Amino acid sequence: MRIMRKNYLFGSGGRWQRLTPLFLLLPGVLLYFLIALGPSIATSVYSFTDASGLKGAPVNWIGFDNYKEFLFQGLASRDNIAATLRTLQFSALVTVIQFTLGLIIAIILNQNLRGRTFFRTLFFIPVILGVVIQGLMWRLFLLPRGGPMATMFGWLGLQSEFLGGQPSEAFMWVIIVQIWANVGITMVIFLSGMQTISEELYEAARIDGASNWQLFRNVTWPQLTPAINTNFLLNIVGSLQAWQLFYVLIGWKPGSQVLGYLVFAEGFGGTDNPAFRQGFAAAASIVLFFMVLIIGAAANKVVSWREQRYM
Amino acid sequence: MTTKLNSFIGVFTGGDSASARSRRLKVVSYLILGSLAVFYIWPLIMLISTSLKPLTEYLKDPAGLPTAPTLANFAEAWELANFPQYLLNSAFYTVTATAIFIVSSLFVAFPIARDYFKGSNIILTLYVIALFLPPALIPQFQLILNLGLYNTRPGYILLFLINPIGMIIIVNYIKSIPRELDEAAAVDGASYLRYVLRIIFPLIRPAIATVTVLHAIGIWNEVILPTIYLTNADLYPITRGLIVFQGVYGNNWPGIAAAVLMLMLPLLILFMFLQRYIISGLTAGAVKG
Repeated sequence: MRIMRKNYLFGSGGRWQRLTPLFLLLPGVLLYFLIALGPSIATSVYSFTDASGLKGAPVNWIGFDNYKEFLFQGLASRDNIAATLRTLQFSALVTVIQFTLGLIIAIILNQNLRGRTFFRTLFFIPVILGVVIQGLMWRLFLLPRGGPMATMFGWLGLQSEFLGGQPSEAFMWVIIVQIWANVGITMVIFLSGMQTISEELYEAARIDGASNWQLFRNVTWPQLTPAINTNFLLNIVGSLQAWQLFYVLIGWKPGSQVLGYLVFAEGFGGTDNPAFRQGFAAAASIVLFFMVLIIGAAANKVVSWREQRYM
Repeated sequence: MTTKLNSFIGVFTGGDSASARSRRLKVVSYLILGSLAVFYIWPLIMLISTSLKPLTEYLKDPAGLPTAPTLANFAEAWELANFPQYLLNSAFYTVTATAIFIVSSLFVAFPIARDYFKGSNIILTLYVIALFLPPALIPQFQLILNLGLYNTRPGYILLFLINPIGMIIIVNYIKSIPRELDEAAAVDGASYLRYVLRIIFPLIRPAIATVTVLHAIGIWNEVILPTIYLTNADLYPITRGLIVFQGVYGNNWPGIAAAVLMLMLPLLILFMFLQRYIISGLTAGAVKG
């Protein structure tokens, strides 16, 4: 059997020599199967077991029990469903605000303004800092007593307990930090999309007497389709799965958690119950996976409709 | 260029002469930029000013600027938090895992890009699919645990040896290198290994730089995986060390601020020099659709 195609030109020597690329490829691919693809698929298997995080502990097949517990078992499942709905709420708010804000900033910075490089860098920097720096920076900034934001709120006659307040209040602040941290990516994707739009299109439209709004509506918006679609999908999928800022900003706080955090906390003992409930966590992560899949597919429908219309 | 895309805000500024309108547009633009910038600059200033205050002064007036700036917090955080060890760990994990990942990916990406054997496209598809599969978190933990690699350096590094998006970027870049080059090298009698390492590797440097930087930043910033996999404080990377430090010295914000700045510095330096690669990596494929 021939493994290598004819277009492989190296290794005129023996048979083994011809297989060099295959041997060199194997470590990378095996690692990938072992660490990423295999475990990813195995998640669904684990979701039907009572696996714990203990080495050598027996793992039993328990059918749909984890899913039943997640959905129907008294108070706990009410919390789980609340966390699921909260994930949707988080994702919707983050997507809408981050998308809009990123677009507005990009439109402004795409003009020939003095200082545009400075502002672009400024808004982008949090992206590379990671959740620990982002989170601790904002915990300092949002200290309820005498912190900078509290002082500013004082001037305006407002009051907030910020991250230490009621779960719903803390939740809103996490949303703000999440957007603050990631709007830079949305912005650079829009900016790079805008740079591909030909100036001639604007000139032509302007000669026809188009207003600024018409320019935006009929030139920018359709021409920006690839960047709009990317940002739309990235924001939705990213925010459904985001939870690390909850971990750094407020920790495990019942009544403010999203599904991603629930998976981590159940699986690795972050809840009030220190047991590692990894089978249950796997089931919760499958629930999250289907949420991402369904919403992502719906978003993708919107995206391909836009492409048909504009491209 | 000036008027390109100022359309959106322009809508709110009404008629008048073109120059008056464009001036007003600029004012509105700067107002929006300025009010957003406050929330990017102020937290940073707070961080710096807090790190320069003695604790007693901080407790009295958390938001004000320091009256007698001191570097004592940096020295304190450096020693108390076991910082040198954590930094060294972070650097070790980042460099080792990134290097292994890049070299192994190069040899996966090249034959796939050249379609050297049957099924090479399937492999690429499997990399793309991974982006849509459930998280690997739980089975990955079971795997590391049962391999006896829990709470060890090799086990922790193992987690960072893959990056599907990075792989796809490298494959696409190799496709832009003309095949004639392969033919010429083969005719000259170059070996496969030598060709990939000595000719291809330097040619795809922009893609390698992008993927390296993004991968390395991801490892450097990771905080969840060390929480899961490392219980021995001697093995902590700096992010985990910082979270633990924050838990122990909860009210010592000057110390925490100093520590955060020390963690931030390498990232900012990296960003200054490699901004181009970072941004091109994050926007890769986004524009062409």
